[in-house]
Amino acid sequence: MSPEQIVHMKGIRKIYPDGTIALRGVDFSVKEGEIHGLLGENGAGKTTLMNILYGLIPPTSGEIYLRGEKVEINSPREAMEMGIGMVHQHFMLIPTFSALDNIILGREPLSGPLTIDRRSARKEIEALMEETGLKVDLDALVENLPVGIQQRIEILKMLYKKAEILILDEPTAVLTPIEVRELFSFLRKMKESGKTIIFITHKLKEVKAIADRVTVLRRGEVIGVRDAKDVEIPELARMMVGRDIKMKIEKRPPSLGEEVLIVKDLWVKDDRGRDAVRGLSFSVRAGEIFGIAGVEGNGQSELVEAICGLRKVDRGSVILCGVDATSMNPIKLYSLGLGHIPEDRHKWGIILDFSVEENSIVGVHRNKKFLNSIGLMKGGEICKWADNIVKSFNVEVLSLKTPARSLSGGNQQKLIVGRELSKNPRVVIASQPTRGLDVAATEYIRDLLLRMRDEGRAILLVSADLDEVMSLSDRMAVMYEGRFTGIVDPEKVSEEQVGMMMGGISIGGSYEH
Amino acid sequence: MSIKYWKQIVDSLLSLMAGFFVGGIIIWLAGFDPLLFYQGLLIGAFGNLYYFMTTLSYAAPLMLTGLSFAIAARASLFNVGAEGQSYLGALAAVSIGAFLTLPNLAHQLLIIVFAFVLGGLLGGLAGWLKVSRGVNEVVSTIMLNYLSLYVSNYLFTYWLYDPMRAYKTKNIETTAILPFVMPGTDLSLSLFLAVLASFFIYILLWKTPFGYEIRAVGLNPTAASYGGINVRRSMVLSMFISGGVAALAGAFEVMGRFHCMDTELTYIKGYGFDGIAVSLIGRNHPIAIIPASILFAMLKTGVQAVQRYTSVGGRTGVPLELGLAVQGVIIVFVALPSIIDMIRRMR
Repeated sequence: MSPEQIVHMKGIRKIYPDGTIALRGVDFSVKEGEIHGLLGENGAGKTTLMNILYGLIPPTSGEIYLRGEKVEINSPREAMEMGIGMVHQHFMLIPTFSALDNIILGREPLSGPLTIDRRSARKEIEALMEETGLKVDLDALVENLPVGIQQRIEILKMLYKKAEILILDEPTAVLTPIEVRELFSFLRKMKESGKTIIFITHKLKEVKAIADRVTVLRRGEVIGVRDAKDVEIPELARMMVGRDIKMKIEKRPPSLGEEVLIVKDLWVKDDRGRDAVRGLSFSVRAGEIFGIAGVEGNGQSELVEAICGLRKVDRGSVILCGVDATSMNPIKLYSLGLGHIPEDRHKWGIILDFSVEENSIVGVHRNKKFLNSIGLMKGGEICKWADNIVKSFNVEVLSLKTPARSLSGGNQQKLIVGRELSKNPRVVIASQPTRGLDVAATEYIRDLLLRMRDEGRAILLVSADLDEVMSLSDRMAVMYEGRFTGIVDPEKVSEEQVGMMMGGISIGGSYEH
Repeated sequence: MSIKYWKQIVDSLLSLMAGFFVGGIIIWLAGFDPLLFYQGLLIGAFGNLYYFMTTLSYAAPLMLTGLSFAIAARASLFNVGAEGQSYLGALAAVSIGAFLTLPNLAHQLLIIVFAFVLGGLLGGLAGWLKVSRGVNEVVSTIMLNYLSLYVSNYLFTYWLYDPMRAYKTKNIETTAILPFVMPGTDLSLSLFLAVLASFFIYILLWKTPFGYEIRAVGLNPTAASYGGINVRRSMVLSMFISGGVAALAGAFEVMGRFHCMDTELTYIKGYGFDGIAVSLIGRNHPIAIIPASILFAMLKTGVQAVQRYTSVGGRTGVPLELGLAVQGVIIVFVALPSIIDMIRRMR
């Protein structure tokens, strides 16, 4: 091990209690004073690896060396004492505190037994700001500051605590292009002053722009380490998404019908008011599965919510079965022929304290067949309906009266899928339909989606699981920062092309029917 | 009835017994005989027909304010405003009952409708403030309690007062009165109307799509909106109904028991807040609120008799204050299971 290696993680394995293998023996090392990119798609293990280095989670096995010395890091506090600081994707600031107070939190200089010496702290931080160029108004309250500035405060906080090794988890995800440029210039300055920076990202161009070296992770394994200036983007793309064995699913060629879902120049804002979907246009035909892949957080959730009437459409339109369905109430959408399998079952899909029966009618609870002449709900009809879903979709339940909370994740999902498909939809929007499910349930739901396609329904499949999208879809698009970087035939596209699209590089031409 | 309900009933009975046990220890520590105390309590509440009827007459307003709290709680709203809403009910009963002449039945019906709407508007206002401006309903309902207290107080003192006697409003017309079930006792038809309301609210919440929506909103608002439910509308409407039902408590006290109101509203003070405890004892379930309100009323009347009953052989009995403390202990114990539920849900 060369002495210039400031961090060396050796044979790191992480198996979560539920059996998920996040890291399969990773060797990772960083040289002193470099900017090291850590590249990979969702679930590759980037953040897990860095959380281990930062002491947030313990590895199942493996060793960590700092400057050649073996160490054990049991908490972020210990990591901090060893000079390791991490800025997470979600900031950990106190909104009602000033920037100054946030920065000194955890290492407050005292001027007396009960008083904080803010003056000396301010001097120290001002010197830091001078050195790195990270300028912040120290007296402003954090809640009034834009995200870009909050990020600077997070970085200053780490530097103030004498971090020598700085880990940044997807730091550009929340920034505007100008803020990204500024961040990069700070990072270069910090590098000049001798700091070591680990930069987690899935954006290929960023690696080339800022990193000295890059380690590519895929499914918990290191695929390779390269010098950023020598490696070409297509090679990085291939390394990031390269397939081990392509999942092979037998499917008939699609028999295409009319366009039942048309999205025209759609603009949607996220919760913070930024454009999450930027002028998307596409259509889905009856009898096909149109897949949308991409790293999460590139606007997929907002797109689905907007189509399904759960988020306001900013501009543009959605046409469902020939009717303008832009920002329509979900109940009306369901009656027009929409079925929606939502991405987060506990947030959207199911009411945990409702019984299986009550959950089976969400969205159709005002349907006439469930009501008698004076407007009371017909228990018998609802029971029959629920029983039919449970039987046809193999939902394992003790009784229809048991709360949904007592069902396993797979059975909850089958209940939701069953409910949506029982609405006899012409268009099914399936968002992360197999997330967190075991192999059997996953297979069941994928088969079901294919069966729905063969029955002539249109399916829009949105998933962060690239294998899933590639093996099920008839056409696939890759979403990046609210736009499609391409629409391709999953049978013909190369890994390299998919990787480039996921990393934000458009490939020429779009694949239509 | 499903296992879930049986389990909850057993839980409640166990906590009731635990409450009696701990209350007994307090009595014993104070140097009195716990058995004698509880005997006095039971006799005071159920000992003869008159006591029993008195207990039931208190159960009626408690049932209604309990229901009021439960309806909002099902939409996961904390309506602490039943107190003020019940004042408006009394206001409606006095103003229409004493100053309008109408035939029997029509008169009572008009009061009920007017009281319900008035209380409903006050509750609905808090609901509207919540969904449109983000005002926490606990804060707004507490403030609105004062508003309705002073408005009623003012109207009673300067407009609706009876010039022939101090501090009281005019009596309502006989056409506006809810008849007594048994002359000589305080029990009026209001109890039957309250029980009816309990069943009605039960059907509303569990057998209609409207109630389904309210409960869905209370348990998971995002999933409710996914189901096409207008979350804001459901919240405001549940607060409207909650306020309306609370107002009935005030109106029925005027129509059934007092036939007038004192200008300071002391006749009906406290029912709104007691309703919170009643609802918690009954797990916010309309049917369970019926026995819960009777239990609460039993403690209320029984404790008045305890001092008399426990003074034996020249020794003074359990002071009323101690009796009230034990009453509080028992109530906290029975309400505990649903308090724990609520805290768990908030996290």
